[in-house]
Amino acid sequence: MKWASVVVAIFSISLAVAAEQTGDAANGKRLFMTVGCYECHGTTGAGGGLAGPRLAPNPLPFVGVKAKLRTASGRMPVFSEAVLKDSDIADIYAYLQSIPAGNSARDIELLNR
Amino acid sequence: MPRRIKSTDTEQAVGRRKFLKAATLAGTGAIAASAAAVGAAVGAETPPAAGKKSPVQITSRASEQAAPPPSLEGATHTTCGSDFMVDVMRNLGIEYVAAIPGNTFKGLHESIINYGMLTGPTLEHISCMHEEISVAISHGYAKIAGKPMACMMHSTVGLQHGSMAIYNAWADRVPVFAIVGAQMDAAKRRSYVDWQHSVFDGPALVRDFTKFDDTPISLSHFAESANRAYKFSMTPPYGPTVLAVDQNLQEDPIEKGTVANILKHVQPSPPRGDDAAVQEVARLLVGAEHPVIVADRAARTPAGLALMVELAEALQAPVVDMYGRMNFPWRHPLNQTRAQAEKIGEADVILGLELTDFWGATNGRLAPGAKRISITSGDLYLKANYQDFERFTPVDIALAADAEATLPYLVEAVRKLTTSARRAVFKARGAKLARDHQTALEQSREAAAVGWDAQPITTARMCAEVYEQIRNEDWALCNGTVFQNNWPQQLWTATQHHQYIGDSGAYGLGYLPGATVGAALAHRKHGRLAVAIGGDGDLMFTPGALWTAAHHKIPLLYVVHNNRAYHQEVMYVQMMANKRNRGIDRAHLGNAITDPNVDFTKLANGMGVFAEGAITDPKDLGPALKRAIAVVKRGEPALVDVISQGR
Repeated sequence: MKWASVVVAIFSISLAVAAEQTGDAANGKRLFMTVGCYECHGTTGAGGGLAGPRLAPNPLPFVGVKAKLRTASGRMPVFSEAVLKDSDIADIYAYLQSIPAGNSARDIELLNR
Repeated sequence: MPRRIKSTDTEQAVGRRKFLKAATLAGTGAIAASAAAVGAAVGAETPPAAGKKSPVQITSRASEQAAPPPSLEGATHTTCGSDFMVDVMRNLGIEYVAAIPGNTFKGLHESIINYGMLTGPTLEHISCMHEEISVAISHGYAKIAGKPMACMMHSTVGLQHGSMAIYNAWADRVPVFAIVGAQMDAAKRRSYVDWQHSVFDGPALVRDFTKFDDTPISLSHFAESANRAYKFSMTPPYGPTVLAVDQNLQEDPIEKGTVANILKHVQPSPPRGDDAAVQEVARLLVGAEHPVIVADRAARTPAGLALMVELAEALQAPVVDMYGRMNFPWRHPLNQTRAQAEKIGEADVILGLELTDFWGATNGRLAPGAKRISITSGDLYLKANYQDFERFTPVDIALAADAEATLPYLVEAVRKLTTSARRAVFKARGAKLARDHQTALEQSREAAAVGWDAQPITTARMCAEVYEQIRNEDWALCNGTVFQNNWPQQLWTATQHHQYIGDSGAYGLGYLPGATVGAALAHRKHGRLAVAIGGDGDLMFTPGALWTAAHHKIPLLYVVHNNRAYHQEVMYVQMMANKRNRGIDRAHLGNAITDPNVDFTKLANGMGVFAEGAITDPKDLGPALKRAIAVVKRGEPALVDVISQGR
């Protein structure tokens, strides 16, 4: 039983990694805007404080992001397979990964007042 | 009798400073002359005492009472009930009356513009476009002025329009002195409209969320009820009051021989906690290893803010600000608002000061055995129907008292109980909290940097750009900041009580435009730069407030956080659609404010307000704000429309 769990976990991670690698960032950006992610997380995943946490740059591992989408609670809507396919999630994840880190606050004069 | 001010143009031609000086001198004469008249009319009363407000009783234009009574319509009333009402209001210290006209208070309207505005101390009429704006102006004004102004509403439909704004003021614990016209005599209703606009008990509409109402039937009755309304509105917990004022009482001449006294007004001192309870609270706080002070509407005045700092520093205790008022300096090392969950989670004693929602502030985070203490005037006054009192929270000690009035005694008790050993513990605690504060500040800055150049513009960038333009001014933010992720509190430095006034109270949309105009009106005589950052949806409720600002030359900077949606509702509809497995690609329907996009620049320009925008590139925002502020510094309102992220 224990071994079976490990095998399933490895298999899941493999699928997740595969999804990360095959996601279409351009389509992911389109989905990010159309299925409403940007409403709470901002168009660049910067986050919206109480509305939604920061998603990018450097997003959480794909498995975690997908799990959050499928089993969300509180303000976050649940995204079932019926409304957002696994491949869509992979594309959205690819978009999040593509968002550059940008400048540090130390390099932005207005953030050092 | 109040003297007539020589100038007849109080709004534009006369320099404001000169005008106010004239008004003050005229008012001084008025009080003195009237005091003498009263002595003759009603005999000995309480002698005038020294103080800011004259306690004398004055009769209404006694020397003119011998004039023959004019006919009810068309004649010039030199001695009338509404002139007396003006005197009552200004004797209470009321300086402004906001209103959109309504024929049930046309007597008062005429008295204000031809008597109140031309004699001193002046009672100035503020022209409005909607009763909701009139009340919201009064709401915002009171939070800066520290006293109510008046607003007038037409019977029935006028009060119905204004009722939501009254509920906001109620939930925000803000004094508003509201007057609603009434035609009580059925025989004097002239047309079918008069009947449609008549109601037997008008204030019933808002009785659930006002502290006092009355329908006086004589001028003496009006004077008593006005004093009572003012007194209750200004007794913690503050709140709005309503007087329904009969049309005939306003318009009829004062008959010869009638003496209606303007009553001495004395404001009761706010209630403070009893000594034994204060001592127990101090003992718990001094003995605690992890005390936390949580404040919502604790600092009613600048003195309250100073006392909050004294208490926190005496204990070297963290302060979590729920942002109902300017409770604590935003960059003070003991300000730990950004670590609210962590600090409350480790607390062994939590002191809640004027918390509207103790449950919400602490639920799910409390450590086992943590003691909860509440000091709130909310425990002194409650109504049942509307549920703004929030969820019931069991506490260990409850002081039904005004927090600000109690703080001096609590600070003193804490200091007396603090031994040198405890002082050393406090010092170490304060040092750690200072490091925590700095860490949180750096985290906020890094969070603000994410998406810095994004379009739509992030709320962090928008707030940082605004601050860059105002930080060297005597600025005052007029909006609550929850929809901007509290970025001002995270990134700006604020130390003065007037720099932040909290939010609407009941989240009734349409609050901010009017409240900003009211706050800016109160800021004007201090020369402060009034600033508001508000949503596009909120502005669409009550855009007419911009006209009032332009008309009365009330300087303010209004930054539109234009996310082109009733954003929060999008999230809720998303949640509902997903729950039903129907997808969320249509969740914007009914929530988005697009197709067409609202052109706020044209909207503002159309009401005589300078405007910049729509700003889409963050690099353009700073220069646009600079140009707008130059206009504000000339004494006018200006608007900047910023196409921004949802939150």
